[in-house]
Amino acid sequence: MSVIEVENLVKRYDDVAVVDGLSFTVERGEIFGILGPNGAGKTTTVESIAGLRRPDGGRIEVLGLDPQEDAKEIKERLGVQLQESRLPDRIEVWEALDLYSSFYRSPAHWPDLLDQLGLAEKRDTKFAKLSGGQKQRLSIALALVGNPEVAILDELTTGLDPQARRDTWGLVEQLRDQGVTIVLVTHFMEEAERLADRVALIDSGKLVALDTPAGLVARADDEQRIRFRPSSPIEDSLLTELPEVTGVTRVGDTIVVTGVGNVLHAVTSVLARNQIIAEQLRVEQVTLDDAFVALTGRSLGTPDSN
Amino acid sequence: MSALTKLTAVEAKLFVREPIAMFWGLAFPALLLLILGLFFPGGREPSPDLGGMRLVDLYAPIALGLALATLAFATLPAILSTYRERGILRRLATTPVSPRRLVTAQLIIQVVLAVLAAALAIAVGAIVFDIPIPQNLVGFILAFVLAAAAMLSLGLLIGAVAPTVSAGQGIGMAVYFPMLFFAGVYFPREVMPEGLRNISDMTPTGAAVQAFSDTWAGLAPSTSSLLVMAAFAIGAGLLAAAEFRWE
Repeated sequence: MSVIEVENLVKRYDDVAVVDGLSFTVERGEIFGILGPNGAGKTTTVESIAGLRRPDGGRIEVLGLDPQEDAKEIKERLGVQLQESRLPDRIEVWEALDLYSSFYRSPAHWPDLLDQLGLAEKRDTKFAKLSGGQKQRLSIALALVGNPEVAILDELTTGLDPQARRDTWGLVEQLRDQGVTIVLVTHFMEEAERLADRVALIDSGKLVALDTPAGLVARADDEQRIRFRPSSPIEDSLLTELPEVTGVTRVGDTIVVTGVGNVLHAVTSVLARNQIIAEQLRVEQVTLDDAFVALTGRSLGTPDSN
Repeated sequence: MSALTKLTAVEAKLFVREPIAMFWGLAFPALLLLILGLFFPGGREPSPDLGGMRLVDLYAPIALGLALATLAFATLPAILSTYRERGILRRLATTPVSPRRLVTAQLIIQVVLAVLAAALAIAVGAIVFDIPIPQNLVGFILAFVLAAAAMLSLGLLIGAVAPTVSAGQGIGMAVYFPMLFFAGVYFPREVMPEGLRNISDMTPTGAAVQAFSDTWAGLAPSTSSLLVMAAFAIGAGLLAAAEFRWE
């Protein structure tokens, strides 16, 4: 049963189609990822779904309702966490939750949310005094305080340190296990791979591909990357003449071999035959980023530093 | 508790947590009267230049105009543009409660503050300087309501369209000081040359001070001052509602 239906969505700003004929559906209970570089139209798309923007073309249906006509009803059941949303400096964490829970028909018990999001200790802290991660978690809590059936999370972990990021991912999975359908907007490839059941790759306002993360990765030709430092010098030709190998590059004294199929076995065999040891050997599977490049010819953008 | 009540309560709490804004909004007018009366030479003596009035009598209506102007131009636009810039209005737009209700809550707070500031100034005037309370009390209340509506609507308009906090503060202040001038804070309207006086009559603060003076003395407020204030209240109010930018 689809919870969100987007059909040929078009949204223009000053004659530029920021969203240009986008179509997809979100099924109940899944985590649906929307992945694309900055400026791809991801935020505009989810803002249109949330009823914040009026589309210039196309149709949107959320829980069977229209985001423009039935805005109030949808907002009871849809929780939205947008990026760059701050609160007044001097409001305390519990005050914000208490205030926002009063907006909904059947809100969650916000003290539980405080615990769930690791903010219990910061209950009486003013917003300005929270760390970046804590502000982000409060933002998520406010999106969830209405006990939504569907949650839109836009750039959930931007600016969080790696630990906070992983904790937040765990929370999202918990949410999904509780039955909340989640739309996750991100430019961070690892996040989409880890969390999403299906991913929509978006570029320049258009849908490039829609599939499970594994499916998208498989589309990019099952390529692998092998990195190692040879214990003694080696000619490129020794590797490039292998049928499984598609390319060899050098990065300093590291060799990077790309290939398909049983390339790992082929490479290690030829090294062993020449009595060369592969030091610091690493094998990398193709990632969603590679899939994006394969499908659009462009990279997802500046990767988050990890 | 309705969402509006809750919003107003939270906004009130937040305002109280900003002691400086509270001070200027509430105490400034009363303070002005005190300073004029206690520290200006001859402040408490009837002056022939002022038709037998004392400086403090003259400045009581001006202090009230000052109270309203401070809230309307120095406070309200900055608050609204801060809420816009921080994405607070936008976040509210994703909930079942419209951001309009937050703006309404702010306006309620400003009105309450205006009444408190005015009451404080009148009380200080009465207790310290024996300034009588307005003789035409009904007329005075009408004038005050219109004056608050006029100035807060104009402040709302500034706050409705200012894209950033700096713009909100900047435009607010750029309006605030001329308004004070035309209210007669720097020198009373009675001694303004005719050209300036006419301009002052057309400003909401100038009209407000005129209406306050009239009703304080027991007269009916002049029709022109009431019309000017009503025009600003309706015009600025409608424009603000139409042009309000939520983000």
